[in-house]
Amino acid sequence: MLNRVAKRIIISIPVLFGVMLAIFIMLRLVPGDPVTTMLGEHVNPAVIEKISREMGLDQPLYIQFFKYVANALRGDFGTSYRLNRNVTGIILEAFPNTVKLSLLAAAVAWLIGIVSGIVAAIRQNKILDRLFMGGALIGVSMPVFMTALVLQYGFAFKLKWFPVSGFDSVQAMVLPAIVLGWNSAGSIARMTRSNLVEVMQNDFIRTARAKGLREHGVIIGHALKNAMLPVITMMALQLSSMLSGAVLTESVFGVPGIGRLAVNAIENRDMPLLQGTVIFTTILVILGNLIADLLYNVLDPRIREGA
Amino acid sequence: MKKKLSLILAASVALGMVLTGCGGGGNENPGKALGDTAAAAGESTEAAGNTGGETSGADTAGFMIDVLNADIQTADVHKTSKDYTVPTNIYDRLVEIEVDDAGASKIVPSLAENWEISGDGLEYTFHLRQGVKFQNGNDFTAEDVAYTFERLLTVEGGVNTELLDQVKGAAELIDGSADTLEGVEVVDDYTVKVTLKEPFAAFLSCLTAPGLSIYDSEATEVAGDQFGMDPAVTVGTGPFRFAEWTFNDHLTLVRNEDYWNGAAGLPGVVIKIIPDTETQTMMFESGELDLIDLDFVSDAADRFLATYPDQIVQGPRVGITYFTMNFNIEPFQDVKVRKAVQMAIDRQAILDALYGGRGQVEHGIYPYGLIGFNDGQTKISYDPEGAKALLAEAGYSDGFTMELAADASASDTVTMALEIIKEQLAAVGINAEIKNYDESTWLETRKAGELGSFMSTWTADFNDPENFIYTFFGNEEKTRIRSINYPDTAVMARVSGARGIVNEDERLAEYQALEEKLIHEDAAWVPMYSRMHLWAVSKRIENFKPVWSGVSDRNYYGVSLSE
Amino acid sequence: MADVKDRQNLAEGKAAAFVEADKTEISNTSRQVKIEQDVSDQLGEEDTWRDQLMTLVRQNKLAAFSAVVIGLIILAAIFAPVVAPYDYLAQSLTDRLKDPGAAHWLGTDELGRDVLSRIIYGARISLTIGLVPTLISMAIGTILGLCAGFYGGKTDFIIMRLADVMLAFPSLLLAMVVMYTMGGGLINIFIALSLVNWAGTARIVRSQTLSLKEKEFVEAARSIGVKKWTIMFRHILPNCIPSLIVLFTLNIPSAILSEASLSFLGIGAQPPSASWGLMVVRGKKYLFSEPWLSIAPSVAIMIVVLAFNFLGDGLRDVLDPYLKEQ
Repeated sequence: MLNRVAKRIIISIPVLFGVMLAIFIMLRLVPGDPVTTMLGEHVNPAVIEKISREMGLDQPLYIQFFKYVANALRGDFGTSYRLNRNVTGIILEAFPNTVKLSLLAAAVAWLIGIVSGIVAAIRQNKILDRLFMGGALIGVSMPVFMTALVLQYGFAFKLKWFPVSGFDSVQAMVLPAIVLGWNSAGSIARMTRSNLVEVMQNDFIRTARAKGLREHGVIIGHALKNAMLPVITMMALQLSSMLSGAVLTESVFGVPGIGRLAVNAIENRDMPLLQGTVIFTTILVILGNLIADLLYNVLDPRIREGA
Repeated sequence: MKKKLSLILAASVALGMVLTGCGGGGNENPGKALGDTAAAAGESTEAAGNTGGETSGADTAGFMIDVLNADIQTADVHKTSKDYTVPTNIYDRLVEIEVDDAGASKIVPSLAENWEISGDGLEYTFHLRQGVKFQNGNDFTAEDVAYTFERLLTVEGGVNTELLDQVKGAAELIDGSADTLEGVEVVDDYTVKVTLKEPFAAFLSCLTAPGLSIYDSEATEVAGDQFGMDPAVTVGTGPFRFAEWTFNDHLTLVRNEDYWNGAAGLPGVVIKIIPDTETQTMMFESGELDLIDLDFVSDAADRFLATYPDQIVQGPRVGITYFTMNFNIEPFQDVKVRKAVQMAIDRQAILDALYGGRGQVEHGIYPYGLIGFNDGQTKISYDPEGAKALLAEAGYSDGFTMELAADASASDTVTMALEIIKEQLAAVGINAEIKNYDESTWLETRKAGELGSFMSTWTADFNDPENFIYTFFGNEEKTRIRSINYPDTAVMARVSGARGIVNEDERLAEYQALEEKLIHEDAAWVPMYSRMHLWAVSKRIENFKPVWSGVSDRNYYGVSLSE
Repeated sequence: MADVKDRQNLAEGKAAAFVEADKTEISNTSRQVKIEQDVSDQLGEEDTWRDQLMTLVRQNKLAAFSAVVIGLIILAAIFAPVVAPYDYLAQSLTDRLKDPGAAHWLGTDELGRDVLSRIIYGARISLTIGLVPTLISMAIGTILGLCAGFYGGKTDFIIMRLADVMLAFPSLLLAMVVMYTMGGGLINIFIALSLVNWAGTARIVRSQTLSLKEKEFVEAARSIGVKKWTIMFRHILPNCIPSLIVLFTLNIPSAILSEASLSFLGIGAQPPSASWGLMVVRGKKYLFSEPWLSIAPSVAIMIVVLAFNFLGDGLRDVLDPYLKEQ
């Protein structure tokens, strides 16, 4: 078991390194001089040159990269061009909000996904199946920012159940969590449904039915148990797409999270900030997958025995 | 089953805690920069504590709620050339600009009570207001003025050095050949003398720019690079103090009770950061905002005007939208072609379509609201037939192909204007093709003088025609980096020389003559329009006035709430 | 063995528990039997396809209906000049922001252009955005996946670590970085979305190749000296096609949505082209006064995305036991 953990972690290291290299190279392909773009109209060329030098932009690329990696290992992602502050500091400030949003969204996704999946599986290929699967899929078939705006318009603006924006109270968190969660619910519903359909054809379910348990009891008691595990793994794997969706959700609802920072960075052409945000979110994804993987190994007896 | 489920739940909670733990733990990380952040966070909580509560539950009752669609970069005006709302309110300038209801403006005393200008226009002696205190209790003296000007030119990451280009010794200070700014002399605690390297009639106007806000020499030096970043150490003499800043969420300003000109009417202001304009609209309509800048929601302005007719505040946005024709690109060397383009664009139609006609079509260089604006100049009329005739005269009766250079970072309305211009040019036989550039390529190509035609807006940094004409036609380099490449060096020498004309009437007359020559004789660009700047305010807001400025910054001093 | 399986499947975003070794084995065997029949009997293959299609129509009417919807939209896109009532670029500043009515069924936009015509023409761009990057990324993914699975060893290791790297990026962020670097515009969208999506295909093709290459018919081909590339493309690839078809139908809508997201961030399609995403983003500013400007293209996106999803699900049920767990 420990061996396996160590192995998984070791495998993640080159991936992380690759991620940093990929981002570094991509961002260095940007046309134009980053300093000129960042400083704007009012500045004198001597100042531009001085700042480029200070930021080490005049050194060869490979030296820049190794410096970058060395600093990143110490938790230092450099200084944001535009915001003039430490990228790590900015990210850590925004981070808890994104985590809160993602966890709440995961709960919502789980709820919508599992319920729709169960109903759909029980009523396989019937009207309810289509309705619930369609409902779960709508969240992923509209552009996230439109779902956000429509819910915001209906529930915050018209019905006034929630504040229009913000993230400083439980109430304010509801809508962003629903938007983001709904966006992931489709795949969970689909998976729950297909798992349940398959599990229900298994022998032990038939046995349970033969024992005279009521249909719904059978499903909830036995089938669900067997269908849950992969859904958990799925959730961790959804982390990546959830963080993508968070970029848009945070912008619409004004949540001060990491996604907003990525958008800030794009708008301001702030390379160190963009680099830091992308690498940081990617670390989150790798970490999430690692944890899911281990969790899964712990929970599933077959794998445990196999190992 | 239950056991397993609870295990799963426990595990997911643990996952959550691990993730959140990373964030929480990070703040306590002893790393230097992180430590700074933690300290800043601690102090800002303390600051909020003064107003009676925790950060999120701070007692902001009675505060005005404003909104920005992007957070500021810093409150240090030496390091930003756009985020002026906080600086406008927490610092003062030596002089300020005041606009009367008719739109006329004048320079009024602020930290400088009065001043003398030498006959040759080179020496400015300022007598400073006594008894003014910074928000940290320090006295304001001439030393602070000298410190501020030197810092503007030397601070790492400074972006407003141009504002003091005209002061004697500025260049030497920037390039390091001098340690002090020769042109600024502290005569005594309350007198400071500024010497220019050559006469510069717009200097006083220039001093009203938010970029020339006055800092406390002692506190600013101690704060180091945290000045403008950490509210607790960012002090000025202004009517509000910078109380709190949660990045991407909100900024809080709290009234300075000891303001030399009398305490502000508002106890404070919370400025929320909301990027999405539809969200802003909904917030305003739900009563979550007291003020909304309709420029950010320009498409919805008509609806606001209809829904809240009594809650609209407006003032000219002192800036000119212009359309360029690069003299180095075929066939724009030909004045007939340039004039044809001037006549082919229906500017009123664009203003009506995109801005509901709120603004006015311009015919020159100096927009409505600016000193030097000339209502009596030659007008350019929309005349597609005349344009066709001119094109035929120039030998382009079959038209030609040109580029419309679109900057991807520009607003949608600018892009739409280009789409309309494309159609209008097509009507006279010119095949204009929109080419999309990303922001940096657009800027670099423009600075190299090689960009095709583009549309952009220049807004005033201070109230003087110099800020406009010199920027575009001051010398060969200036006209090249705008991709205009205006070739007449004699005219440009006049533009440059006009800066030193000491007699105000003569100076303005020369500026207007140059405008006539450049725009109507040489057709150096297509003046498009200047716009009105509209705001919607909540019912409880009283006396909100747009500041005289090309930018969108607000001045909260003088505003009050009716409740 | 269990360890290896577990890793692959997890990595593919599959539910590993349900891809127990023996089940995979069973489905592979039955597939292989089927394929051997197919290879020996061309006619038989056609029959199988027809059967499968009929099964689809019988079993899953929704999927069949979705296929019809997609077909109609593709036709409308191809024959846009005939179908659209107006020129999608024709401005009329006097007819701006007209409500939906007899002259303009979906009203006009901020420059007085007919919204319905723009949506019909927009289908061209949006479907292209769905199609081109998906084709490119799947071609790359398929070739790399085949190589990784077939050659194994270092090749496998390098390709799969590369895929790990790509999959670790949240896709929108990666696309944002690419667009940041290269600027907006259609071609760059193609590149960005292709870069983002190849890794998923590579993993699935690889895992199928891994199990297929152990099969008797591949061993047999090998033993009589058939070239490696021939084995890969003639014998292994055809067996991956059902999964690829399903993946294809599921990747298209995600590319269309990604473009909309990029447009929202201002780094997607550039005007005056009329992708649906860009129409939504531009129209959203008029949400309170002229909601159809954003709602109409949103609904268009929704219909296409849902249709592809339903079709994909249906195809998967019929074609591809491999992907069922996804």
